[in-house]
Amino acid sequence: MSKEGAIRDPFRELVEAYALGSLDAEERVRLEAHLATGCVDCAKALGEALWLVSQLACLAPAAQPSAMLRGRLLKTVRGQAQQSDVQTSATTIPSWMWGAVAAVMLLALYNFREARSLRVTIRQTQAALNEQVAFQKKSAQELALARREALILTDPRSIKVVMPSTRTGLPDLHVSWHATLGILISGEKLPPPSGTRTLQLWLIPKVVGAKPVPSLTFRPDSDGKFQLLVENPPDAQLDTKALAITEEPEGGSPQPTTTPIWAGSVAGK
Amino acid sequence: MFLAVLTPSESSGVSLDAALARRLVQREVSAFEELYERHSRNVYGLVLRILQQASTAEEVVQDIFLQLWRNASQYDASRGSFLPWLLTLARNRALDHLRLKSEQQRRREDQAGELAPAIASPDFESGLDQKRCAARVRELMSALQPQQRRAIELAYFAGLSHSEIAEKLQEPLGTVKSWVRNGLLQLKEGLQAIA
Repeated sequence: MSKEGAIRDPFRELVEAYALGSLDAEERVRLEAHLATGCVDCAKALGEALWLVSQLACLAPAAQPSAMLRGRLLKTVRGQAQQSDVQTSATTIPSWMWGAVAAVMLLALYNFREARSLRVTIRQTQAALNEQVAFQKKSAQELALARREALILTDPRSIKVVMPSTRTGLPDLHVSWHATLGILISGEKLPPPSGTRTLQLWLIPKVVGAKPVPSLTFRPDSDGKFQLLVENPPDAQLDTKALAITEEPEGGSPQPTTTPIWAGSVAGK
Repeated sequence: MFLAVLTPSESSGVSLDAALARRLVQREVSAFEELYERHSRNVYGLVLRILQQASTAEEVVQDIFLQLWRNASQYDASRGSFLPWLLTLARNRALDHLRLKSEQQRRREDQAGELAPAIASPDFESGLDQKRCAARVRELMSALQPQQRRAIELAYFAGLSHSEIAEKLQEPLGTVKSWVRNGLLQLKEGLQAIA
């Protein structure tokens, strides 16, 4: 029975005949229009009526179709199945190939990770190597410097200069000047220059009236020690009358701005 | 269940049909072969009864099973048993042929994959004894007035409408309508009674 009540009862009464296919056109169209509205009760009744009508098939005696029909059908079906298989195999990737693809992708992933790991190792090794080379280079430089300083100190051709301080209480500075290896100045227990100021070495020319020649700047360490090597003195030993050290602004000055704190005469050999 | 009476199957026939239909969707020829072995006699018997000619009936049966092979996915086991669905399909095809539908129209239906409408097994179907059900259908039909039984058979096997039946039997249209509906309701009640 339709949920829409008595108004829809005529439709429900048509369902069995509709399932049987015996409704005339006008009634069939009316019922189909009603079914199209989504009447659940009539749709369910129709399903059951179709089942009921299908039971009438038992009124027809079963009969054996010919063997030829069976042969024709199976031949057709097998042919279509094989064609379907061929199309399937032609359009799809076989499972073993998926396995191969997966293996290749895994291998690629493994290689990618290995390569990345290798690159990291190479970078680390390269950095260590660079560090080692830098260390060796620095060591060699320090060694060469130490050897140079040793030669300056020990070579009898070096000129020894003592630079007393013009200020009371400051220690003397000791200078060794080798004509080709440079000037080596050292001192201890020096007070640090004030603020950011620095100490600067000057070469005083023998030529009367010539301006002091500026050289390197330096600051003693926290212990008051320093050792300054001037590898390429700005003036020749023979042309230099004296050495002087003044306190200058940070970075040095082209000409002395203060009076010398230390000074010493260069007595040529 | 009546459907199983049509075939020498056991009570598991319905679930077996459903399983075979599922395999048919996977294009398994062996499933098709087994379904053909199980139901071709019933299908052919029904089609032959409708068409009354063996060669034409075989041609239609071939169409029916090929349609089944190509459109097996249209069978929904959750909505009803397989054999009623197949027999409804067979009847519709045979009646179409009987009505001399044009080849072009049948091709259109083939292309559309039109199969039988959804059939809902009634609640009492599971309680039906197979052989008793088939015998009961024949018994109930035999119990009807000859003209009433004739009216239903003309509708079912010849595909005639109420008006055509009334004209053929020379009976009032209203009488034919009552015969058909009451006869089907008696059949339903009779099957429910043995469930």
